[in-house]
Amino acid sequence: MNIILLIVIPLLVAFLSILVKKYQMMLLIFVALFNVIILFFLKQGMIFVGGYEDELTHNLLGITLFLDVYAVIALWVINGLILVIALLNIKSYQTYGTILLLAMAGLNGLVLANDLFNLFVFIEISGIAAYLITTSNKKPVSTFKYLLYGSIGSSLFLFGIVILYAMFGTLNIVIMIREIEALNDYRQLILPFLMMFIGLGVEAKLLPFNHWVKGVLGTSNSLSGPMIASVYMAATTFVFGRLITNLFQFEGSLLLVVTILLTVGILVGDLMAFSSTKVREILLFSSIAQSSIIVLLFVNGLVIWAVYLIIANALSKTVMFLVINHSVQKTNDDEVESLKGLFSHNLLVGTTFTIATLSLMGLPLFIGFIIKLNYLTMFAQQNQFIVMIVILLASLIEGIYLVRLLIKLWYPGDQKVEVKYHLAFKVVCVVIALSLLVFGTYSNPLNKLDHNIDEISEVVIHG
Amino acid sequence: MIQYAAIFLFALGFYGLFVNKNIIKLIVSLNVMEIGLFLFIISIGFVSDGIAPIVSSVDDLGLIYVDPIPQALVLTAIVIGVGTTALGLALSKNIFDTYHTLELDELEAIQ
Repeated sequence: MNIILLIVIPLLVAFLSILVKKYQMMLLIFVALFNVIILFFLKQGMIFVGGYEDELTHNLLGITLFLDVYAVIALWVINGLILVIALLNIKSYQTYGTILLLAMAGLNGLVLANDLFNLFVFIEISGIAAYLITTSNKKPVSTFKYLLYGSIGSSLFLFGIVILYAMFGTLNIVIMIREIEALNDYRQLILPFLMMFIGLGVEAKLLPFNHWVKGVLGTSNSLSGPMIASVYMAATTFVFGRLITNLFQFEGSLLLVVTILLTVGILVGDLMAFSSTKVREILLFSSIAQSSIIVLLFVNGLVIWAVYLIIANALSKTVMFLVINHSVQKTNDDEVESLKGLFSHNLLVGTTFTIATLSLMGLPLFIGFIIKLNYLTMFAQQNQFIVMIVILLASLIEGIYLVRLLIKLWYPGDQKVEVKYHLAFKVVCVVIALSLLVFGTYSNPLNKLDHNIDEISEVVIHG
Repeated sequence: MIQYAAIFLFALGFYGLFVNKNIIKLIVSLNVMEIGLFLFIISIGFVSDGIAPIVSSVDDLGLIYVDPIPQALVLTAIVIGVGTTALGLALSKNIFDTYHTLELDELEAIQ
């Protein structure tokens, strides 16, 4: 089996699904299931599609895709979460199957691409699908703003790529890393890398490029909320990690600027969540802070803990956005005060939401704790005490607003809030919550992988 | 020289995105910015006295060609740009049908 099937099949079925509108979601579920299963059988390594090898330089000219442990983890998260979201929205968002198939093709391509221009193309494909997914919010102005910011971001990303092409004459990431090592002058790379960082920063919701997030996630539903906050965020941060670890390798003044941007992003994100009174806004601002932490971990070379944080965050946010958006759709109000006592009659859903929240906060017994403990220890070993203090301070703020949210959602107010969740919904929430709990208490499988799961550097050294 | 013109066009579009509040003008600014970028990409592959990179016979092998990769990139980027513009225009029609205005200030006040 060829890894290109992960992109081609969703793309092909997306076109075919237009002919059978009623069965779009069914087709999506079959394709997502197919992708999750074939990931077990795919051979890891680099594949070369079309093009040829330059006889003089031995450079590969054409499309190259790369599958390693890092990409496999990313693909499992993306396809698995799309499968879950599709199953839960099979009736309510029937006509969005084609768009989700397009999103799946784009996001899979994003993770697999080993060529900077293909990366841009997949960013655009997944971006257009994301704009279409957000039309389900019925807020066209917010969607338009998202499109505008996304287009500016991808234009800057393309600008950065073109400057790199002009400098090195290649778009292949592996060859470019070798050329950059040979150049040995980081100052010339600051402009293109900064442009690419800003371009990806828009999609990864990093401050200050995330002006679109409030409009889109603040009015999200059970489809757009988990898709944008979990799946898209996971895919973008995985790509961000790949580029930061291998290509950017920030140093000097650029490293300082990026670190300041990210630490400010963590604090501001959590402070905005703290000051918000709307549930969806609290979750979206928390996502902004989390994505800044993830990128900061990649910048400091803590790859494996960044990957675990992406997974834990994607799982927690899926449960949280699903529960809250389902409840808001029923009550038509997302003020915390209006949802008081939401869980008093929904013990199971309330417990899963609580587990997801406590894991996000990084409390003991949950996976979030192990991840937070490990990356803080690593920061201490690197003498990054200011970063440590910022993260601890942000964790404190996060703890306060999340505990406050949980108390309000558990204890009834004057008005009775009644929301019913169907069985499939409960099953998904329970499975995700159990996984957060199991890996929080039994962390041996997590220790098996190390920072070398991203194998591009191996290819750069050994060919 | 053409690269300076392309960067100026890119900057002009970028400036337009900040100062305009009308949705159609924003889409036009985005297009101006993208055209500046496309010109910049094309200029990267330019070779003085180079001809179009199409080898039609054995006699052509000694000739100088312009770099075909930036041209291929621009073709793809143009298609993507058209798609994004079409989606933006569809959204603007939706916005106008719903709110009867295309001014972002007024739309924010309504919402």
